[in-house]
Amino acid sequence: MPLIRNTLLEHQGDDQPAGFQALFDALHNPEAAARRLAARGLVDAPGGSTALVERLEEESESSVREALITSLAAIADVTAVTALIDCLRSEDAALRNDAIEALKTAGSQHPALIQDALQDYDADVRILAVGILESLKHPDVELWLIDLLEHDSHLNVCACAVDLLCELGTERAVPALELCLERFPNEDYLRFVVDLAIKRLRGESSL
Amino acid sequence: MSQTPAITQEDFVKFREFFYRKTGIHFDDSKRYFVDKRLVERIEMTAAGNFRNYFVNLRFQTSGDELQSLVNAMTVNETYFFREEYQLKCLVTHMLEEVTRRKTDSEPIRIWSMPSSSGEEPYSIAMYLLEYWKGIEEWDVELFASDIDTNILERAKRGLYSPRSVHNLPLALLEKYFTRQKNGDYQLIDDIRQSVEFSRVNLMSASDVKAYKGFDIIFCRNLLIYFDDLSRRQAADTFFDALNPGGMICLGHSESMSRISSLFNVRKFPEAIVYQKPLEAR
Repeated sequence: MPLIRNTLLEHQGDDQPAGFQALFDALHNPEAAARRLAARGLVDAPGGSTALVERLEEESESSVREALITSLAAIADVTAVTALIDCLRSEDAALRNDAIEALKTAGSQHPALIQDALQDYDADVRILAVGILESLKHPDVELWLIDLLEHDSHLNVCACAVDLLCELGTERAVPALELCLERFPNEDYLRFVVDLAIKRLRGESSL
Repeated sequence: MSQTPAITQEDFVKFREFFYRKTGIHFDDSKRYFVDKRLVERIEMTAAGNFRNYFVNLRFQTSGDELQSLVNAMTVNETYFFREEYQLKCLVTHMLEEVTRRKTDSEPIRIWSMPSSSGEEPYSIAMYLLEYWKGIEEWDVELFASDIDTNILERAKRGLYSPRSVHNLPLALLEKYFTRQKNGDYQLIDDIRQSVEFSRVNLMSASDVKAYKGFDIIFCRNLLIYFDDLSRRQAADTFFDALNPGGMICLGHSESMSRISSLFNVRKFPEAIVYQKPLEAR
């Protein structure tokens, strides 16, 4: 019968797992597969997040970057989450998207860092940070969004905040929505979404 | 009369976080009854008396035996032969054709079924190859099957199945590959049982999966639905490394790799959508 039972994998599995030092070294291996393996294995290593962040800054192979980001999301310490937020500034859309997905889980460990990102100097980072809030399940998310409506100077940041408030806001957000319209009086799109949000938050619309 | 140990919401959350870290399996609040029931069973079986004592033992037991018992109790093992048969058809009509086009004669084709549960899936693959794939005369195929549940792996190796497990099999194959037992169960013949290598693997453990490389096809159906987003991404990374360039992975009908990872290409075959590691991947 040409179906062959091979026990090779079992014997390979008997090998001792690579020590952490070997994994730190392998982060710089010329083979992408070795770097991916190291990235995955360093989740439990003391100091793992620092090494992963350093590698992420240099790494150009997308599959390795994805493994690095996934491991940083799993570690989710301050170093890891800060680095993931920094990825939101990247010109590389794939890297930004991977970081957003990672922050949707890792961000809940450090909500203060996400809150800081909402005040970032770069409006694009603030917009992406708003997108992460939906998954954060933090009790103050509505307050943070209200704060954006009251103070953020960028129309698109406010529009994103309105969109999200439409999903998870309550009636207490209505005054901030009205204020936002006053701050950007000539923006038809904003008027449309704010009106919709207010109706929904007051229970006047089933949309 | 002994009292049933109580599991509080705080206990549930504490346990849920621990179990997730160890296995990648996440229980949301709707699974509370399912989890509580099994936790109480384990607390009673280990005579721990209450959740606190049990949890201390679970966390600090060096052997990990109790964690394995708990994993066995918490995992769902519902399946049957020729389940989601369209993927098996796709395997023999399209996927293997592509795989063999790239291979040299000396390399066997390597297929991994994960999770194998009680063996219905890997044994179905074996039967399907023998019955419906002409290439089986020319190519050697290695079949590996893994699961996190050690009890279910023992059942898989025994190859004894209820009428429900075999209900989807054509009668001719049932008669060819099984022997009916007096109690109505079906015993799989040794030739098929011995064609699959079973092993215990925790997909979330880097050391467990390290050796799993060089696969051409992976079947991972209806497992990722039990994982949260992060664990799904970790599993996707593991499968990426386990596959040869150009290798393909079959997920369950409600699962999509595109929502998990951008590493794989979507391949639309007439019978099924599968996910492929790019040929140029390193």
